[in-house]
Amino acid sequence: MFPQFGATAESLSKASTLVFRIGTDAHLYDDPEDVNISPLLDSKFDEEKCEALKRLLALIAQGFDVSNFFPQVVKNVATQSLEVKKLVYLYLLHYAEKRPNEALLSINYFQKDLGDPNPLVRAWALRAMAGIRLHAIAPIVLVAVGKCARDPSVYVRKCAANALPKLHDLRLEENTSSIEEIIGILLNDHSPGVVGAAASAFASVCPNNFSLIGRNYRRLCEILPDVEEWGQIILIGILLRYVIARHGLTEDSIIFSLYHKKDYNSEDDLDITLKEDARDASGKIVSELANMVFQSYIEGPDEYLSRSSSTNRVSPKLDSLIFTSSSNDDVKILLQCTSPLLWSNNSAVVLAAAGVHWIMAPQKDVKRIVKPLLFVLRSSYASRYVVLCNIQVFAKAMPSLFAPHYEDLFICSSDSYQIKALKLEILSSIATDLSISFMLKEFQDYIKDPDRRFAASTVAAIGLCAQRLPKMANTCLEVLLSLIRQEFLSSEIGSTDGEEGVLIQAIMSIKSIIKLDPPSYEKVIIQLVRSLDIIKIPAARAMVIWMVGEYCSLGEMIPRMLTTILKYLAWCFASEASETKLQILNTAAKVLLRIKGDDILTHRKVLSYVAKLAECDQNYDIRDRARFLKKLFPCNMDCQHEEEEKDQLQTGDLSYVLAECIFGGQTKAVTASHEPINYRYYLPGSLSQIVFHAAPGYETLPKPHSLPYDDLDSNEEDDPDTSGSLDEESASDYSSEHSVTGSSNASGSDETAFANEADQDAGPLIPISDIGNISENQNEVSHSGSADFEDLMSTKSLESWLDEQPGLSKENATEQSQVHRSSARITIGNMKSRVKPKFYTLLDPANGNGLKVNYSFSSETSSISPRLVCIEVFFENCSLEPIAEIALIDEDSSKGLDSTDQTSSEAEITLKPHIDVPNLVSMEDIPCLEPGQTAKRSLQVHFHHHLLPVKLALFSDGKKIPVKLRPDIGYFVKPRPMSIEAFRDMESHLRGMFEYTRSCAFTDHIEELKGSNSLTKDSFLVICETLALKMLSNANVFLVSVDMPVSANLDDASGLCLRFSSEILSNSVPCLITVTVEGFFKL
Amino acid sequence: MLQCIFLLSDSGEVILEKQLTGHSVDRSICAWFWEQAISQGDSFKQQPVIASPTHYIFQVYREGITFLACTQVEMPPLMGIEFLCRVANILNDYLGGLNEDLIKDNFVIVYELLDEMIDNGFPLTTEPNILREMIAPPNIVNKVLSVVTGSSSNVSETLPGATASCVPWRASDVKYSKNEVFVDLVEEMDAIINRDGALVKCEIYGEVQVNCHISGLPDLTLSFANPSILDDVRFHPCVRFKPWESHQILSFVPPDGQFKLMSYRKVKLQNTPIYVKPQLTSDEGTCRFSVLVGIRNNPGKTIDSVTVEFQLPPCILSTDLTSNHGTVNIFANKMCSWSIGRIPKDKSPSLSGTFVLEDGLKRLHVFPTLQVSFRIMGVALSGLKIDKLDLKTVPYSFYKGFRALTRAGEFEVRS
Repeated sequence: MFPQFGATAESLSKASTLVFRIGTDAHLYDDPEDVNISPLLDSKFDEEKCEALKRLLALIAQGFDVSNFFPQVVKNVATQSLEVKKLVYLYLLHYAEKRPNEALLSINYFQKDLGDPNPLVRAWALRAMAGIRLHAIAPIVLVAVGKCARDPSVYVRKCAANALPKLHDLRLEENTSSIEEIIGILLNDHSPGVVGAAASAFASVCPNNFSLIGRNYRRLCEILPDVEEWGQIILIGILLRYVIARHGLTEDSIIFSLYHKKDYNSEDDLDITLKEDARDASGKIVSELANMVFQSYIEGPDEYLSRSSSTNRVSPKLDSLIFTSSSNDDVKILLQCTSPLLWSNNSAVVLAAAGVHWIMAPQKDVKRIVKPLLFVLRSSYASRYVVLCNIQVFAKAMPSLFAPHYEDLFICSSDSYQIKALKLEILSSIATDLSISFMLKEFQDYIKDPDRRFAASTVAAIGLCAQRLPKMANTCLEVLLSLIRQEFLSSEIGSTDGEEGVLIQAIMSIKSIIKLDPPSYEKVIIQLVRSLDIIKIPAARAMVIWMVGEYCSLGEMIPRMLTTILKYLAWCFASEASETKLQILNTAAKVLLRIKGDDILTHRKVLSYVAKLAECDQNYDIRDRARFLKKLFPCNMDCQHEEEEKDQLQTGDLSYVLAECIFGGQTKAVTASHEPINYRYYLPGSLSQIVFHAAPGYETLPKPHSLPYDDLDSNEEDDPDTSGSLDEESASDYSSEHSVTGSSNASGSDETAFANEADQDAGPLIPISDIGNISENQNEVSHSGSADFEDLMSTKSLESWLDEQPGLSKENATEQSQVHRSSARITIGNMKSRVKPKFYTLLDPANGNGLKVNYSFSSETSSISPRLVCIEVFFENCSLEPIAEIALIDEDSSKGLDSTDQTSSEAEITLKPHIDVPNLVSMEDIPCLEPGQTAKRSLQVHFHHHLLPVKLALFSDGKKIPVKLRPDIGYFVKPRPMSIEAFRDMESHLRGMFEYTRSCAFTDHIEELKGSNSLTKDSFLVICETLALKMLSNANVFLVSVDMPVSANLDDASGLCLRFSSEILSNSVPCLITVTVEGFFKL
Repeated sequence: MLQCIFLLSDSGEVILEKQLTGHSVDRSICAWFWEQAISQGDSFKQQPVIASPTHYIFQVYREGITFLACTQVEMPPLMGIEFLCRVANILNDYLGGLNEDLIKDNFVIVYELLDEMIDNGFPLTTEPNILREMIAPPNIVNKVLSVVTGSSSNVSETLPGATASCVPWRASDVKYSKNEVFVDLVEEMDAIINRDGALVKCEIYGEVQVNCHISGLPDLTLSFANPSILDDVRFHPCVRFKPWESHQILSFVPPDGQFKLMSYRKVKLQNTPIYVKPQLTSDEGTCRFSVLVGIRNNPGKTIDSVTVEFQLPPCILSTDLTSNHGTVNIFANKMCSWSIGRIPKDKSPSLSGTFVLEDGLKRLHVFPTLQVSFRIMGVALSGLKIDKLDLKTVPYSFYKGFRALTRAGEFEVRS
């Protein structure tokens, strides 16, 4: 029973692999189920758990469904061992969507892990949590991401950025704004790694929210070279889109010159390169092509092509307004920062950078992209293909760009066929009079390549070259003819498929060259016809016969030869292949139509003979063709009635005209070079460009200048000085040497950050300019209340969380100093009278025949239902005539009713069963409003707790005017009076995860302070008052307390704390707001 | 963004799958892929971007393993491809090669690596140095340890410091007792010699490979004596662009260990170090074929590992090639390989013989292309010279070593 001693080589190698595999996980993969997995999962030893999980992973790898272990695996998430944890996460993410209920069990552990001191654990927890993708936990994840976005560890912040698209993917509308806000924070991060990840989140979440980019544009450009390569790819695209949306296209780019060429064709101030292109015959096609390419970058190819075909090329919609000079700072810095990226090791980065230059760079600088692109061709095979696809477009749209580098595109035998074909196509489109001779030499080598498909493509490329450069057509033709002669010799016997392809392609290329100038190639045609005897391949024969028909009246020789040729054709008709037979029929008919002379009788005989043969053919196509010809030439078929048919021809017989149309029509010159690029109308470097159709999510460039200027400039500020941010690792400033332009690091904190309504630990945050923006800002603050967070919590929990972190010395210091700082409580009296309600316009007098309607939200609470919001509406008659019968009702209920029938509509409202709170409790009508008179009515509206405007119908003088009542989120809450103790109590009872923090700059008090004498009024008080006033006039909240720090230094306003309380109308959940101030007085 | 990564074996078996986003991709797509690959043959397997009925697939093929990545939305295709290449490189690094068994044996590591390299379809950590710190590569010590102790954790307990620093490619606390830097110039010569014997294209593709063992956070500058001869350059992310733009100096904080600092290209060289002269005459059913190889420009160092390979055209039935130096092998797929080794001084190696053509064929109308390879140690044929290598920031001295090597890249001679 012993194994044989003579071990074979096979068993030896097996043994050696066995030895080699000891200690690996090989046995787990090969036989994952050889032990019972579930008891291992319940084991208390980490090693056993590990093994069980590895077995599960092996099963996953092999495609088995092991989701039934889910509950057991989830339990293990609480483990301390990082390896077990990692394996559990791997398993969990694979199945979370299948087993949502069990996945929920793990959430608590993730939350615990999020507070772990080890950043790796925090990052993993966040990744796993976000990867679970359950709607139910989205709010929790959002808060966690928000937290991690301010994490001290770069790695965690990066993971937070990556988690955002996962959240966005759940498509929860109410989260969108918060996600975008976090993206804004991360884009502002000073670590390049985070910015890269944030850019990718931006691109997949809100690619068109350019205001986020506009704020940081310059900084993003400068940081670009330091961003990780993957982030660079995405960020380059984002910056390009932003610049185009903001400034439009550049004035001296290729695209611009194309437009101008169109507009002022007479003017000769075009760029030299374009002139060069235009000099060759197909120059016009080329520039048109480039034009098409660029147009479709902006409009999308489908749109562009349909437009151009339907309206016959209306001049482009884009006018010179969309252009900006390339000396524009933003454009300049973009080009400056992307040009070193052309040296990147990552070919995707090189291509992305090249795309920017292709679209935006001044024409003279575009050539910068050529060498790097050609260099990328030396990298991996797969990327070589993609880069070539892009070069193809560049080269076709602007041949002069690549023309000097034709040698780089010469073909190696190791290239795959796709690459060879692409290179040939590019070569044929960049050929110039100078380079064509070298290329032809090279092409002749290719024709002898053993790969015959490649040889055929080469022959086609020669044809294309000749079309592009008519001057060189003769040389090309020589090459082709000699090839054909050779082919005849070699293909006499046993020609293979490949060989046929080459020959067919050669004749096709000759055909296309002849088409350029038929009269001068008469001899070539004759030569081909003479060799009909040795051309055996049906497709090739058919083509030559077609040429006979097409050029039968050309020159002197051919007409004389015709009779002989036709006789020959008729003679061999029976033995031909069907496609050749069809061509013989056509040719016979064409000759008959075109040639008038003595031989007409013979021609007629030939046609009728051939047609007769064809009628008995086995192929029905040929029989059909024969019958068709018989009908068209009824008289010609019958040779007996010569005189009659002459008459008929002269009288313009209908069938003759038809025949003329069908056979005599000049074939349109089809430019082959046009065809293949037709589908590469997508942006350079995009997937769509490679697969020839718009992939889902493909977006064209934004409309130039679509981004308004004003709303951005006000926000463009220097980033808050990063020195105060909470990074534990602010290592040596590596990037400083990269920065392109000296950015001013001067922080404008003196002026704008005088009183920062900020939490001190907020890190780099979006500074929001408060001037005129307060309502929007306010919306954001209380928005969280409506967005199901139920509560706004003070920053306490975040602080305590951060307290655990080591290395936060600075933050902790300030934190500590504030905790120890004693404070005094003050009351501000007489607030209510000073609160000025904000007025919104419901109806402009211009639209309402002089009736002006404004409204404001009132702080009263409704007596009918707590869900109703009270609104005061002010009517004013600005016209000179009285307005009668003014009523304001719900749009929906007015539908289908007679416009004047208010009573019934009102009746209907009241009749509506009170299942839900009514949308609108109507006001009393105003019977008549005299000129100049005003009236005030109150209205109660149910906004259903969303921010969509309520559509109302306003009736006046019997006319219906639709109006929109826009809700103010600040009034979705109502005040909830309470004492400071109650506030504190409630705050401490809040469940976690429903806090929401943000900061902004506040400047209202500055005006106030300037206005009043600073000696008479305490500036602290002024700040408190303006802050409280701002809050109260924008939201329906209750001022609980105002705490003022009693500090030694009078110029420090930090620590000022205002507390407000309210409850959400719809569910009476409390909503607590704490405003803390940070800032110094300007001395 | 990428949704899923599959690793396929040579037989079309899915070795492992890694879902990246919530939209999981069924592995039936691999079955579809394999069906297409079989029905369409090589041309399909050479397509890097494939539009399947449900997904877009990026394909990278490395040593028998097919790496597939799927996406359903628009994304830069090169990003997917580059990423797959990076995965292949790193697996190759970790496992000491790439084949089905190696991947299966170490599937846990592969999973852990993939999980670290890509998050939600977007690359996360792709820097080899950092990955090594996070996930220990399998090595003999680990294996033995795992056999002995039964535990086999290869997941690092802490985050490498480098993930947080401004130089994410460098481990933070590197210590060596002996500090040394080796700089290698590795050049490949691409050339095409056409049927007339003329040099159509001749260029050098070179890489500056650095093997760096220096403690702390060194800041190196490398300058060339003649940087102007370079036509194109590409850099490792550690190279600062500014100094290169202004003075053509490479200034960088190197990653630890072996890495490719820079690659460059020099085009339009006038000469090749060796000549290869094929001659083919054919008439009446047989053709005579001969190849002569010799030194054209003596680079001053020995030229060795010279081989000439070519694929015989399909119409050739048999051949009796013999050489006066070296060995000739003809494989079943009509691949012919002549390995010469070092070119002898006294005679020039030659290969000669006759081809027997298919019945009926009188002359050969397609001609083979010869692929030549050679290696020259100690010479960079582009002429690039390293001027000096300086170390800033760290005060101590270190050992510097420079080497050069030129070998043939795509060196083709058409016959």
